[in-house]
Amino acid sequence: MPKYMLMFVGSDDWYDKQSKEELDKAYQPIMKWWDDLSKTGVIKGGEELGMQRKATSVKRVNGAMKVIDGPFIESKETVGGFALIEVEDLDKAIAIAKSWPGGDVEVRPIVDHGA
Amino acid sequence: MSKYAFLFMDDGVDYQNDPTPEQQKVYADIFKWFEVNGPKIVDGGAELQPTRTATTIRKSATGKVTVIDGPFIESKESVGGFSIIEAPDLDAAIAIAKTWPGYGIEIRDVVEQRERVAEV
Repeated sequence: MPKYMLMFVGSDDWYDKQSKEELDKAYQPIMKWWDDLSKTGVIKGGEELGMQRKATSVKRVNGAMKVIDGPFIESKETVGGFALIEVEDLDKAIAIAKSWPGGDVEVRPIVDHGA
Repeated sequence: MSKYAFLFMDDGVDYQNDPTPEQQKVYADIFKWFEVNGPKIVDGGAELQPTRTATTIRKSATGKVTVIDGPFIESKESVGGFSIIEAPDLDAAIAIAKTWPGYGIEIRDVVEQRERVAEV
């Protein structure tokens, strides 16, 4: 079965605006979503990422690697986490992405190296 | 030891579709990089197909869900893959990232679930 990456769109702004109670409330359905899909074997892996403002980047500039204190692409919205899922096809991956209790999601097929 | 997410960034090179010999060389070097750094990689993650294969699900403030062909952010630079690396600290993670044969890496903290629960 093909694998897809769900990239969850997030922003530091959103976190900053939530109270602890609001965060707790927002996370409950997300945890349940994650647990349910892990138990059924759909989710194969994934992580939640820390704040974008804490990012460090390395970028090739004129052949040499330059260290940048900050995200690679300056943008209000960023990848806030990801889940690797295994489902029949893209339609099914989109259906799962639609059921994500958080915000926007980018779905990308992954490269199969035949491993 | 701490875990760091490496977001491998592409600058629009389509390694899966007719790469130049130079790009093929970089791709081969990337394979070698994964072999050499294997012991530090706690989750191999995945390599993503190019952004032209992306589908985005957007949710409006009212909860309306829209499915769009294409990436969330249209930009030449995009996330091309993920791996989770274990390193003693951020400096060590940066040192590993600097050896990446490709275009670049964004290093991000990984949120441990218990940490998040403890916070709220």
